[in-house]
Amino acid sequence: MQQLTEAVEMGNLTDAKRLTDELLKAGKAPLEIVEQGLSPGMANVGEKFKSNQIFVPEMLIAARAMKEAMSHLEPLLVRAGITPKYTVILGTVQGDLHDIGKNLVGMLLKGANIRVVDLGINVTPDQFVAAVKEHNASIVGLSALLTTTMLAMKTTIKALRAAGYDSVKVLIGGAPVTAQFAEEIGADGYAPDAASAVDMAKKLVTA
Amino acid sequence: MNDRQRFNATMHYQWRDRVPICDLGFWAETINVWKQQGLPGWVSGGYDTTTTDEFFGMDAYIGGPNVNVGLCPPFEHLVIEDRGDHELVQQPDGVQVLRKKYMGSTFHPERHLLVDRASWQKHYKPRLDPDTPSRYPDWDEARRCWQNSDYPRPRVISGGSLYGWLRDWMGCEQISYLVHDDPALFEEVVTTITDCIVEVHQRAFDNGAQIDACAMWEDMCYSGGPLLSPETFRKYLVPQYQRITEQLRRHGCDVVWVDSEGNIEQLIAPWLEAGVNCVFHVEVGTWRQDPVDLRRRYGRDLLMMGGFDKQLLAGGKNRIEAEIQRLAPIVDEGGYIPFCDHRVPPDVTMSNYMFYLHTARDVWAKQVNLKPFGALATSDPVRSPTASDT
Repeated sequence: MQQLTEAVEMGNLTDAKRLTDELLKAGKAPLEIVEQGLSPGMANVGEKFKSNQIFVPEMLIAARAMKEAMSHLEPLLVRAGITPKYTVILGTVQGDLHDIGKNLVGMLLKGANIRVVDLGINVTPDQFVAAVKEHNASIVGLSALLTTTMLAMKTTIKALRAAGYDSVKVLIGGAPVTAQFAEEIGADGYAPDAASAVDMAKKLVTA
Repeated sequence: MNDRQRFNATMHYQWRDRVPICDLGFWAETINVWKQQGLPGWVSGGYDTTTTDEFFGMDAYIGGPNVNVGLCPPFEHLVIEDRGDHELVQQPDGVQVLRKKYMGSTFHPERHLLVDRASWQKHYKPRLDPDTPSRYPDWDEARRCWQNSDYPRPRVISGGSLYGWLRDWMGCEQISYLVHDDPALFEEVVTTITDCIVEVHQRAFDNGAQIDACAMWEDMCYSGGPLLSPETFRKYLVPQYQRITEQLRRHGCDVVWVDSEGNIEQLIAPWLEAGVNCVFHVEVGTWRQDPVDLRRRYGRDLLMMGGFDKQLLAGGKNRIEAEIQRLAPIVDEGGYIPFCDHRVPPDVTMSNYMFYLHTARDVWAKQVNLKPFGALATSDPVRSPTASDT
């Protein structure tokens, strides 16, 4: 299991797939492989990314290795009726077409075994509300890169609350976003980087 | 002094009548809003700052004959699909992007032509041929500008981009994979780009180019730091930058700026090692990059432009004035041309911007030899801070 964790951390696609298959053949349960092999690897990657020990390319190749390994496990997990406990609806808010930061957050959330529904870019408040309803989401993650578009975060939160989703937690992030802004607009959490977004998401759903 | 003399004196810590007063520019949306606040109709926003420079009495920090060190010929500009208020277009760099029709600030890449070695060789490598004649100006006309010691604007040559272009051509995720999956191709591409830049510059120098500064562009950082590791940066990019900057220095150009948004902290030292010695539009951002702090840590080796937090312009006038005063000592010292840390956004009122500019002209330029403002369509914006501004 430790080798699998290390393969994910190093972004070693071939080893991640091979070790996953070997663990399955050895009788390890798919969920155990996810929770004890893959997720710790991505958690380590997130921590290293947060402290600038690794950078975007290293995080991306780690996420790719995790994804490949997961593609071997997901059919087995579905067959066993095992689904992630939490669902996050993720999107870049209306008027904003940037998505690199959002995509990084999505990769790390998946690495933490959280289901991610990525609505993409330029997402309207109504689309967020509809997705929360459709996927019974626990968290909505809002991203914005511009000082002008970050105002759409407030509109989205208002729309969610007006639709009665008071218990759905809203997590926001993006270059111009601050903790103070999150508080001002009534967001439940703010994350300054992708790895912190995972920490905050876990905190919000267990609060 | 003219703009060129003032620019050169500032960048070499020499005596000048005053610091250049200029700005990066304004979003088109900002100018549209300001037209309802008194800005005359003839002033336009966007990338061309000719009319805003004229109206706001700005000095030039860029000018002179130039060469094209990029993709030549460019890809054809095509509108591929109309999607209501958005459109899918092929840009001159070959990337298909989704963009808003009526706003200039954002776009989203939808498809990249450069995906592997074969597409590099087919679509991009042939466009980096220094022999393409359309890269070059009329040499006789260019020589007249270069040999004119009274030429009024700083003569700035384009230095291209080693990472930023490639990131745009491939997309952030694909270039990140490339660095790990096929470092040989990554190295070949940046070397080919550099070969083209160096050869094109050489032909300019052979034709008498006298250059005050070289402008490079990268945009290779986000709020948390660089998009690739400093180790990768040092291994693949620093040697290529050095080829460019050493050639420039041999021909008398010792100001090389790089335009890169985001938190550039971890790249400043390797850029300096590479001979890139000027940060262009120091971006304050949520990571609070500060020209005063940069000067304290890097001394006079690091030249700077920008560094005034544009977010302050949307707030109270007292805070604007306080920040102008805070930056004044390093403005006076030289090696620094202050202006907003990015284009002025539309949530800034024209009144606040005019207050900023008047105060900057007072404090930084001490009202010496300034260019006149254009006439407003309505009454003059307020200049002095009031209690309600705090």
